[in-house]
Amino acid sequence: MNTSKNQPSPSRLLNWFNPRGRSLEGMAFILNRITALGLTLYLFLHLIVLGTLARGESAYDSFIELVHNPVYIFGEFLVVAAGLIHGFNGLRIFFTSLGIAVPRQKAMLYVLMAIALVASLIFGLRMFTA
Amino acid sequence: MAEVTLQKSLSAPKTGENTWLWLLKLVTGPLILVLIVVHFVVNHYIGSNGLLTYREILNYYRIWIVPIMEGLFLVLVVSHALLGLRSIILDMHPSRSVLNLINWLFLIAGVVSVVYGIWLIRVVVANIPGS
Repeated sequence: MNTSKNQPSPSRLLNWFNPRGRSLEGMAFILNRITALGLTLYLFLHLIVLGTLARGESAYDSFIELVHNPVYIFGEFLVVAAGLIHGFNGLRIFFTSLGIAVPRQKAMLYVLMAIALVASLIFGLRMFTA
Repeated sequence: MAEVTLQKSLSAPKTGENTWLWLLKLVTGPLILVLIVVHFVVNHYIGSNGLLTYREILNYYRIWIVPIMEGLFLVLVVSHALLGLRSIILDMHPSRSVLNLINWLFLIAGVVSVVYGIWLIRVVVANIPGS
């Protein structure tokens, strides 16, 4: 594995997101970073938007009506998929950091990403058909 | 050589990252995964329209453990997000003064977010009819 790409400096910031020449673990690293940044941004926007709950039923339900369109639903789907991918990939990092299943982390990554993909599709199906 | 590669593939505290904070970031991950799956199921499967309406949220919060669970979720996810973001910034080798500034900013952002979120949970609970 080319670990030097996982030790970026400010001048090599874009290397974090460069998939060329990376091993599977390196790709998992990029995926973890991209989803982490996206989810953190979403978390704080989500908290701000949930403030409409304090303005009562009509304000909140009007907001829910507003976001019930394909563009927002697609955005929500990306958040759900990012949450599942980051979460299951994070589970691999959790186990390997504790020294569990280190030699099998590639297999673990495949299995956990398959679970994340299937779960994302299940949620996506519900979100786009509700 | 193989051993070196293996060691480098493992997550470990970085320079400037306290071991306890690194451990907190690591341990909060699986807990958040459990809570986020519950959060997604409730919001996208229980909701009649794919998202919970105001009344559906009040009904959900009638279950005594839900406000506690949502509060715990808030604390865990805010801590994990800010510690993770700090960890990414550490990779850019910031100066000591920049890191101090980031530490204070993130601490303030974390406390404000948690206080605001808990206030919001209390508002929802207070609006449950008969509460």
